[in-house]
Amino acid sequence: MGRLGTVTRRTFLIGSAAVAGGVAFGTYMVKRPLPNPLLDDLAEGEAAITPYVKIDADGVTLITPRADKGQGAYSIQAHLIAEELDVDPHSVRLTPGLPGPAYYNANVLKEGSPFPQYDESWMAQRVRGLMELPAKLMGMQMTGGSTTTPEAYEKLRMAGAVARETLKEAAARQTGVARSMLSTEDGHVVTPSGDRLAYADLASLAADIRPVTNVELRPPEDWTRLGRSVERVDIVAKSTGTLDYGIDLDFDDMLHASVRTNPGMGGALVSFDASAAESMRGVSQVVEITNGVGVVADNTWRAFQVVNAIEIEWADGPYPSSQGEIWDELARAHDGEPDSRNRDDGDVEAMFSDSAATVLEAEYRVPFLAHAPLEPMNAIVKASDDRLEIWTGTQIPGFIKTHAAELSGVAPENIFVYVQPMGGSFGRRLEDTYVLQAIEMALAEKGRPVKMTWTREEDMTHDYPRPAQLARMRGAVKNGEVQAYDFANSSSSVMNSWFGRLMGPLPGPDATIVSGAWDQPLGIPNYRVTGYRAPEMVPTSSWRSVGNSGVGFQHAGFLDELFVAAGVDPMDELIRLCTHDLSRQVLEELKSLSGWTGPSLGEDRARGVAFAMSFGVPMAEVVEVTSTPRGIRIDKVYAVCEVGRVLDPVNIEAQITGGVIWGLGHAMNCELTYENFAPKQTNYHNFEGMRLYQTPEIVAKALENGDEVNGIGEPSVPPAGPALANAIFAVSGQRIRELPLNKHVRFV
Amino acid sequence: MVELRVNGVVQQVDVEEEMPLLWALRDALGITGTKYGCGIAQCGACTVHLDGRAVRACQVAVGDVGHREITTIEGLGTPESPHPVQAAWIELQVAQCGYCQSGQIMSAAALLERTPDPSDDQIDRVLSANLCRCGTYPRIKSAVKLAAQRLQGG
Amino acid sequence: MSIRIMSLSCLLMLGLASQSVSAEVEEGAHDLSVELKPGGSVSNADGLAAWDRIYAVVSHPRCVNCHTDEGGIPMWTDDELGGTRPHGMNISAGESRQGREFLECETCHQTSTRPNTMPHAPPHAGIPWQLAPVEFLWFGQDSKTICEQIRDPRRNGGRGGRGLVEHITHDASLKGFIAWAFDPGGGREPAPGTLQQHLDDTIEWVAAGMPCPQE
Repeated sequence: MGRLGTVTRRTFLIGSAAVAGGVAFGTYMVKRPLPNPLLDDLAEGEAAITPYVKIDADGVTLITPRADKGQGAYSIQAHLIAEELDVDPHSVRLTPGLPGPAYYNANVLKEGSPFPQYDESWMAQRVRGLMELPAKLMGMQMTGGSTTTPEAYEKLRMAGAVARETLKEAAARQTGVARSMLSTEDGHVVTPSGDRLAYADLASLAADIRPVTNVELRPPEDWTRLGRSVERVDIVAKSTGTLDYGIDLDFDDMLHASVRTNPGMGGALVSFDASAAESMRGVSQVVEITNGVGVVADNTWRAFQVVNAIEIEWADGPYPSSQGEIWDELARAHDGEPDSRNRDDGDVEAMFSDSAATVLEAEYRVPFLAHAPLEPMNAIVKASDDRLEIWTGTQIPGFIKTHAAELSGVAPENIFVYVQPMGGSFGRRLEDTYVLQAIEMALAEKGRPVKMTWTREEDMTHDYPRPAQLARMRGAVKNGEVQAYDFANSSSSVMNSWFGRLMGPLPGPDATIVSGAWDQPLGIPNYRVTGYRAPEMVPTSSWRSVGNSGVGFQHAGFLDELFVAAGVDPMDELIRLCTHDLSRQVLEELKSLSGWTGPSLGEDRARGVAFAMSFGVPMAEVVEVTSTPRGIRIDKVYAVCEVGRVLDPVNIEAQITGGVIWGLGHAMNCELTYENFAPKQTNYHNFEGMRLYQTPEIVAKALENGDEVNGIGEPSVPPAGPALANAIFAVSGQRIRELPLNKHVRFV
Repeated sequence: MVELRVNGVVQQVDVEEEMPLLWALRDALGITGTKYGCGIAQCGACTVHLDGRAVRACQVAVGDVGHREITTIEGLGTPESPHPVQAAWIELQVAQCGYCQSGQIMSAAALLERTPDPSDDQIDRVLSANLCRCGTYPRIKSAVKLAAQRLQGG
Repeated sequence: MSIRIMSLSCLLMLGLASQSVSAEVEEGAHDLSVELKPGGSVSNADGLAAWDRIYAVVSHPRCVNCHTDEGGIPMWTDDELGGTRPHGMNISAGESRQGREFLECETCHQTSTRPNTMPHAPPHAGIPWQLAPVEFLWFGQDSKTICEQIRDPRRNGGRGGRGLVEHITHDASLKGFIAWAFDPGGGREPAPGTLQQHLDDTIEWVAAGMPCPQE
């Protein structure tokens, strides 16, 4: 029986469920009257458990439901649970879990919920954010930047604590010693006389008792794992080649496959000639799949060779064929009706007609960008008439299940998605086309597992990139102050494109077209932010920091132009304009840490600064550069942010640093440019990013002044590009208003 | 049939001579620590050693390997007994997604084998041919230096 | 008279500046027809015209990109990327011209006589990949400069006219760099003309006394 515990001080419930041979602890999600697309398949009052701890005869398993794309999510989730449960994360089993019936009780769960347990809170935030927008437009109070409830931070610790106390209660019943007299240590309940009862031996008893939920979370000063440098649970495996990613799995009798689909994404397959391919050694079959052709063969290399040998005729892609036409569409969107105007403070127009003001205008462009994680998209699928098993690296196993059911006709309860460690994602694995292709081929090879792997070329040209965007801005300065900023950006809608594939387009404006502009805590007296929605063109998706990645560059770049026009120091002016205490502290810390005394650092050396608040995290960065005869060299970066509480100092430094490198590298030299419906960039030779020799020294600092715990995987990305562009301006006088920067300067 | 010497073991693989060593290792021998990232020697994720020298396994036809000894990340060291370069990688927690790290480690190990005390310039030149999308470069640099120190008894 | 030449390598090794044509490379045949011409049998004007065709080859990216200066940095040419730029990945071949101080060329550029097929992959040839000796600087050099270098035994690996001809046939027998330039594979633009024409032009130019342009 599933058992609901009491409501904790947040709005979630911790409970337990009996599972084969043991017990699972986790949170219940209950369908409430408010519209919540996450729970659409549940009836009112019904609940589903998201398990975090499973204990059975085999021992303790920690279920770390948020996908690990490399950001250390498994490790931090395991440590959150372990902090309360008193187990060593290195000596228990960890699994991303399985969206299947094992952890659910028939009474509380209706199978086939369209939303995954994985990334549920993350998804929910985004959906909620979008659904709030119409209300915001009607003039309701905005909640500002920091709206995120750090659900995992509490839920996982709470699940660990409830499991611990329930196990102690089970031990109390077994031994007759009061629960309050028992303690826990390394996977055991310990009695006052020193007897040690293994959690595994208490599991079946624990499953039969009402979970103990009146627990207090341990205060941070009592923590033994969190807040310290701990060894990541996967670090040894990742350093010895022993971690199996999805692409590494092998099964008896497995076939290998690869595909080519229309490079004009969404365009149809007209015809193909596989006669030569089919007769090649090792080929099992050539399969027509949605918008393309797949080859099933005896090894991956063969599948690559053969699929590339097929003569294929493609229909046109369903969007403008060239980059030039795409820019034209984005420019035209500025003449249409606004999609959003989330900020309209003061009266920008009045300031622009003030004869004492200096008015500036500019246009900024950011390109399409591929995620291009190093592990190319792949999936293993084993199909039978009434069952599908899927092994893949994904952030959306629940959607995969839904889509797989639609595609195959197999009942959702007979579809099993096993989430594998991922060789990067950066938002890429929020799409599942590659999985569906693998299913199509597995359905043609029933009974045998089929591993489908994309070539890098297929991957780069079918990436669901970040959209290209075109911003137009005006600003006014007067009396040495920035008086007006009118920012307008045009873009195709990521949310429309992405959610359209996941579950149907979302109604209402797309906040991501202007996120990073409208929501910045800057008190410019006349401040307007407008989003224009261009038609859907190339299918796009979320890319590390989503809208903030492009908007961050545009917004902070032009702001720097205004600072220069006003004759003010950019750092001091950011601090003066800042309306948010935590953000101001970030800027002040950055000023002190970087020894900021102005943009110039002497002959041929200079620095730029940029600030962007995203995902509730204020982040400011200084980039120092030298202008050498061979080009710009990036010497040093200071990155300061506010995260509330540092749970893992080693990982947070890695995430900030990685985000800075991501932001700088793509700003330096990456773009997808379309020609004949497809990107011209096909592999890393022309989509390179940063390499080691270009990597500056990076000083990262996370402040802990706030009371929210925030994720840090994305916020260091948005300020990096504009801080670099501003530094290049400071050193050379060259203002670059489009990315990548290497269209205008060389880097060494 | 092609005969390969992998991590000290002689293996027979029934593949064509043109097959890149990468795929012979991964698909024919099930040695998967060596990763496929690009297929064109841009990313270095497939780096292995041939007689101690780093090569991109995606560029070596198995028929061209001959009698050279192949060492993969699994042959360099193990979780129980990591190579000093792997130990440095673990100690400094270099990996994020980790997918490129087999190649990074193999490149670093080959560098240190020949150049026990590499200059910053040598590290920059050798490791810049290995791509890391997560941006672990600062720690890679530190780990190479730490490993160099350890290997010299420091 | 046309002669099919087999394995001339023993004879031709003498003139090679490259120290690294290793014994492990099996020397094969080539399909070139070598029709030598007596010295003075070709006019100066015809010789200069032959040189112009040779220059079109030796100034082509497939050739000059690895005939760079003492900085040791090879070049890449990719029209999609706006032409020619330094080899990516911070590569330097160093003083060894083979990357031994840093990352060896052979880390990516294998020694193999198999055809080059994969677009954008590092090309390979039948001899170990390397930069040409630094005195064979061609990158960015004009016709007169390269011409004078090639005919100067002190700066061409000690080759006379015949040695230059044999250099081509020997390279062809190994599927070396000259042969590769005309068949680079992987969608790369080959050097202009054919290897046979290049050989004929070289024979013609040598027979004319290796004339070089005055300007």
